[in-house]
Amino acid sequence: MKDLSEKLKLLASRSPHWVEFRYHRRNVQTLQVQKGLVKQLKSSITSGVGIRVLVNGAWGFSATSDLSDVSLEKSLKQAIECGNSLSQVKQSKVKTLPQVKLARGEFVLPGYEALSKMTLEEKLEAVRRAEAQTREKSPAIETASGYYNEIFEDKIVVTSDGADALSRLVRNEFRLSAFAGKAGEKASATQTVGRTGSWECLFEDHSMDSLSEEAARLAVDLVGAPRVQGGLATLILSPAMVGLLSHEAIGHTVEADFVLSGSVAAGKLGQHVASPLITLVDGGKVESAPNGGGDLLVDDEGVPTQNTEIIKDGVLKSYLHNRESAAAFNVEPTGNARAWLYNDEPLIRMRNTYIQPGTQSIDEIIASTEEGYLVDGPRGGQADSTGEFMFGAQNVSRIKNGKVTELLRGATISGQAFKVLSTVDAVSKEFKLDLGAGYCGKGQPAKVDAGGPYIRCKALVGGIQE
Amino acid sequence: MSKYLKAEEQQLENTALELQSHALKAGAEAVEVCGTFLHKTKITLEKQDFHLASADDNYVFGIRTLVDGKQGFSSCNTVDPKELRDVATRSVQIAAVSPQNPYIAIEAGPNLSADTKLDLFDKELFQVSLQTQKEWARLLKEEATRDKRFRLNEGSVDIIAGATLVSNSKGTLMRVTENAAYWTLMGMGVEGNEITSFDYFQEMARNPTQVQEKLLLSTRDFCKQLIDGLKTGTSKSYKGLAAFSPRAVAHILLSGLSYHVNGRNVVEGSTRWTLDDLGKSVLHPTLTVEDLPWLADRTGAALFDREGIPTANTTILEKGVLGEFLMDSYAAKALGQKSSNGHAAGGPTSLPGVGAFCLSLAGGTKSSSALMSEAATQQKEFLLVHRFSGNVDPVTGDFSGVAKAAEWCIDGKPVHVAKETLISGNVFDVLGSSLFGISKDRVVINASEECPTLIADGVSVTGSQS
Repeated sequence: MKDLSEKLKLLASRSPHWVEFRYHRRNVQTLQVQKGLVKQLKSSITSGVGIRVLVNGAWGFSATSDLSDVSLEKSLKQAIECGNSLSQVKQSKVKTLPQVKLARGEFVLPGYEALSKMTLEEKLEAVRRAEAQTREKSPAIETASGYYNEIFEDKIVVTSDGADALSRLVRNEFRLSAFAGKAGEKASATQTVGRTGSWECLFEDHSMDSLSEEAARLAVDLVGAPRVQGGLATLILSPAMVGLLSHEAIGHTVEADFVLSGSVAAGKLGQHVASPLITLVDGGKVESAPNGGGDLLVDDEGVPTQNTEIIKDGVLKSYLHNRESAAAFNVEPTGNARAWLYNDEPLIRMRNTYIQPGTQSIDEIIASTEEGYLVDGPRGGQADSTGEFMFGAQNVSRIKNGKVTELLRGATISGQAFKVLSTVDAVSKEFKLDLGAGYCGKGQPAKVDAGGPYIRCKALVGGIQE
Repeated sequence: MSKYLKAEEQQLENTALELQSHALKAGAEAVEVCGTFLHKTKITLEKQDFHLASADDNYVFGIRTLVDGKQGFSSCNTVDPKELRDVATRSVQIAAVSPQNPYIAIEAGPNLSADTKLDLFDKELFQVSLQTQKEWARLLKEEATRDKRFRLNEGSVDIIAGATLVSNSKGTLMRVTENAAYWTLMGMGVEGNEITSFDYFQEMARNPTQVQEKLLLSTRDFCKQLIDGLKTGTSKSYKGLAAFSPRAVAHILLSGLSYHVNGRNVVEGSTRWTLDDLGKSVLHPTLTVEDLPWLADRTGAALFDREGIPTANTTILEKGVLGEFLMDSYAAKALGQKSSNGHAAGGPTSLPGVGAFCLSLAGGTKSSSALMSEAATQQKEFLLVHRFSGNVDPVTGDFSGVAKAAEWCIDGKPVHVAKETLISGNVFDVLGSSLFGISKDRVVINASEECPTLIADGVSVTGSQS
């Protein structure tokens, strides 16, 4: 890695234009067991260098998997040609990138060495055992599936204005699904965990046994469960659902590239956009929740990551930036530039997005809720330019007179993000990052995490009408 | 071998042979290699302007090995001889630790039939310069921003040329070269404080003449539809008739159906139908669904599948009667069928799975407007669903989510876009006893599936007036 870093620095020093070299090696191991059979056991290595240049205010990009001097120089030339060609038609030139203290040195997150020493056989055996256990939990379980994935990442980011960072991390995730059936009705339930770190840290909060137990119990209970009545309702969202809300409903609208396109958060800095109980952060490392699935020390532009307060006590404070958008807003970049593979250009992406905890306990919040639903089990979500969001929930439980009563089938929750956050009247002290095996899609995937406390709010539930 | 990517095809073939040789020496009894070469040039638009020009060439190889009926898989993006040996060895090592699975096989497949006529390569498109590509991007941008109410968030014009090879140690050798131009747009309508939902589209063409014909037209249609979405109004909650546009049919209904005709899911026992249901009436008698892989103007067009098996048209459902499941060699073996029907899906970085190439739902006998008018005689007001932001539970077929840019219809005619409206229902009810009718006219969605408009009863709509 160090030899390559020296080679890239030399090339950067000779470039007539601002240039960023990003070497990225991704080593992925995936295994999946279903109904006792191994469905997938595979290893995938992708590596190469992405080269981005800024030529007369226009971006050019090229990539190569061949790390020879000849290939790197050819690729740099191609990137410059691309930038040069685009500069002839680009109307609004990219401003000079902001001066910022760029990362230099080695940035290593824990777990990489330990996980690389664990054998594939050990991991496979653990997943097979968990899948088999899940099938044995109940005669109603027809099949189960266990999935484990780990991504080892090694990166070098070198820029002609001083970034010189080597980074290394490993992200892993585990998913266990149970499929149940009774009298012609079927249901499924999935439990997931995802972390940046070792095998032990992946199962620190939820053991494999507990995930198996919960997936099986939920799948069986969901068979034939009643459906939710659609309409506006009081909801208590679990930390995982709060994570989805933070990521989908707010996070995307404050990505500065979306803001510049006219997202609903445009022009709202300094305005009250949420209940004063809400403080929302996107960070590269969360002190109270280590090993988050979106942990990152340096972004793909060589900018050290910050913990960015997006909303503070209900007031919109900041957008999320890369170097280009920071220049446009005349602020410091927040370290949110991320690329999925070496041949992808860095985009503004979130890392760990969460709402800060409050002071009440979840028991107190449930006890003070006359009628509503406790919503858990994130099943994907999307946000819109309007701030309108949608997220799926695997399991919804009815709350009546301060008590959790029956389990209902999963549903979709929707609303306008800022309006929903303005209705928040209770925030729990219990807190966790809990998006599990969460990925965000924005042209490229990105591994992210999100979470928070339990919160009580009002939103639309997409259920049945009688 | 094509004369235009001859060197790249030769490299694919040589590397495949090298990988096979290494794997056989390392102890594999059978080896399959899937390799691709892609040359991509891309012009990206962002925030009403040009954003980035890029160029990228890359090879990717996946190697699947069998050792004692055990399967291993690894992939890489290199042609470096030392790394290729490591990757082949890794695949064999993975096979060694995998458990035996009696259904896994690598076998010689049949050759392409002489009457297969599918040409996916155009020499004129191959010779298009970056300057011409930039001109196409300029046309896309100018057409999109002609109406100032359209906000272009992202867009691109890509030209991709490539070669794909599947070979195995049992004698299969399939290769194809193809190229195409793709254009995409993502944006929203903005007028004063009114903002529409984000929306996107993708189109493709396989020669420059088609690009000229389709680029402006498809962009104009897309932007007009978004701008029309600024005329918003309310919607009511009800359970009853709802219309699904061709896009909604593809997204909600065909995707829900696909899971249950996937042979691998049938093997796992998570589908509503089994082999015993073949030849039986399982859905509404007006429904005929086919998979058509030889339509050159679709993104999924393919001469052979991920295992090198020639593709063919497949009738999945004919007048409501279950015709065939989609199968790769694994599913065929596990289901006791003679052979795969050429539906192994995936690329070189993944193990073969099962998937459709290009689904087509046959039309009915009435025009969509006549069908909508007829529905209005049963129910004066109902929702026409276009874009769906939500979840379809693959197992139960339950769907729930936000109906984006859905239109509120009175007397069978759209009167305004319904804001904040959720829908909920079940795919198999909609395609079964609740189906009201399907239109004669059909639309190709994002250069992929072709579907009619469909109207069904029993759909729950949670409107903004609830």
